[in-house]
Amino acid sequence: MVRYRNLLVLLVLLVAQILGLAMQVRRVNSGQGDGQGVRLIRLWANGIVTPPEKVLHNTGSGISWIWNNYFDLRHARQENSDLQKTIDRLRLEQAALLEDAKQGQRLQALLNFEQKYIYKTLPAEVIGTSGSEQSRVFTINKGKKDGIDRDMAVITPDGIVGKVRDVFGHTAQVLAINDQSSGAGVIMESTRIRGILRGNSQGRPEIVDVISDQRIKAGDKVLTAGGDQIFPRGLPVGVVEKVVNDPERDGFVDVILKPAAHLDQLDEVLVITATEPRFAPDQQQDIATSEALKGAEAEKQKTSEGMAEKLPGLIDPNLPADQQPLNDTSNPNPVSRPPMAIHPDRFTPANAAPPASSGQDNGQAAPKKPGTPKPAESNPAPQGDR
Amino acid sequence: MSVLSADARRDFEIHRYPALIYALVPVLAVVLQAWLPRVLGRFAWFDLPLVITVFFALSRRNPIQGSLLGGVLGIFEDALTGHAIGINGIAKTLVGYLAATIGILVNVENHAVRLIMTFVLSLVGSATYFFVVRFLLGMSMDTNWMAELYKAIGNSVIALVLFPLLDRTKIRD
Repeated sequence: MVRYRNLLVLLVLLVAQILGLAMQVRRVNSGQGDGQGVRLIRLWANGIVTPPEKVLHNTGSGISWIWNNYFDLRHARQENSDLQKTIDRLRLEQAALLEDAKQGQRLQALLNFEQKYIYKTLPAEVIGTSGSEQSRVFTINKGKKDGIDRDMAVITPDGIVGKVRDVFGHTAQVLAINDQSSGAGVIMESTRIRGILRGNSQGRPEIVDVISDQRIKAGDKVLTAGGDQIFPRGLPVGVVEKVVNDPERDGFVDVILKPAAHLDQLDEVLVITATEPRFAPDQQQDIATSEALKGAEAEKQKTSEGMAEKLPGLIDPNLPADQQPLNDTSNPNPVSRPPMAIHPDRFTPANAAPPASSGQDNGQAAPKKPGTPKPAESNPAPQGDR
Repeated sequence: MSVLSADARRDFEIHRYPALIYALVPVLAVVLQAWLPRVLGRFAWFDLPLVITVFFALSRRNPIQGSLLGGVLGIFEDALTGHAIGINGIAKTLVGYLAATIGILVNVENHAVRLIMTFVLSLVGSATYFFVVRFLLGMSMDTNWMAELYKAIGNSVIALVLFPLLDRTKIRD
């Protein structure tokens, strides 16, 4: 018995863990979450690992803060100027989109459909990861006491990141969209093809179980579909990088994405703690500011764009405004007259010039037909020819 | 690689370390394993808890201690991943047992032997992990064997540097 003691202990340890795994899988399959014991182990592990992680994170943050705020300010003035220009441009765009947004909301109200907007977000810092290639889970420095709850969406200004998986007192674990066990409803912007997003073994997000479609092209934008009850509709997910055949099913493809958020280098994220069918107060204030500052300019721009849409032949999108054909007085080749009718009849526009003279003007001989009524000579010339 | 009888090697070559090393090094390995991928991104090709399991199993030459340490570190890792607890636990229990068993049979003071053992045991750990996931749990998880190979190489390089440093902390009779 003593001779086989080592082997027996190994077997006991392995069997105990296999039984534990079986019980966990059973709980998950029956729709229950982690058991009390498993939750306790996760809590202990988190409690032991998180404090040193926070110390390491804060030390690193402190060093980079000193560097960024005292030493690396060489281009701050130029960056400030560039940012101001960007704000001006965005304010103009926001004011221009405001009317469309209001109209959209009115139509949604008519259709009894409520679009949920991001109402409240909580910024959090990433302090650690799972440390495993097979698990794309990371830890943030906000938890239950900060108002974080399970299944809340986690985003960055660039795009979606993941959802909250486990919540502890002062920390939470987030399951990233490139984990193999994740799932999010997405839609391709141009083709409106919907699918489920999950991670592959290389840690790249991909849309799975998509029926092969020639319209799916690299560079297509992918957005959240909003049907998963986690991510609000219309948030950027990424762009299509490539389309590969599903190795297990004929006629299906996997669409591999380049994520919009930098999933490998996350420092700060936003947890969406509330969604509402209206804009948040600070968003409303921002919209009001944009409208007040840039509303008139945006309206003018919109009117000119409307005119451009209605007069497509007279606007060349490739030319600047002062060189458009309509404004260009130096153009030696003005818009040519439409050809005159060879045989005018009663359907010919009353203001058309007589066919005979017209034909002679153009060097063409128009055959005369007896009995053809001659248009009245007192008719004015076409307005466009003046 | 000289082969001695198991009892003789166990009696003469069991290394002992201060209690602080036993307590701190495994915890530090788990903490760094969780923190370093934030800094290194997708180039974090290593598994520090596995390297530490192999080190203590080889040094102590006790399969029971090796299995227990591997199991505990593996369970800690599982607790942080969000996956079912026990997948890494089983893999590292087996790695700890094998490392200690081999440590009894062969002279593992040689750096090349340690390097090769860490490399092979890393691959054994990865294979066990995927066996548990695919066949015991029936989960559909794709395997990126190139990443596992890089990880085994990374573990070997870390072992080459770390083992002599940890050797310096051993209690000399």
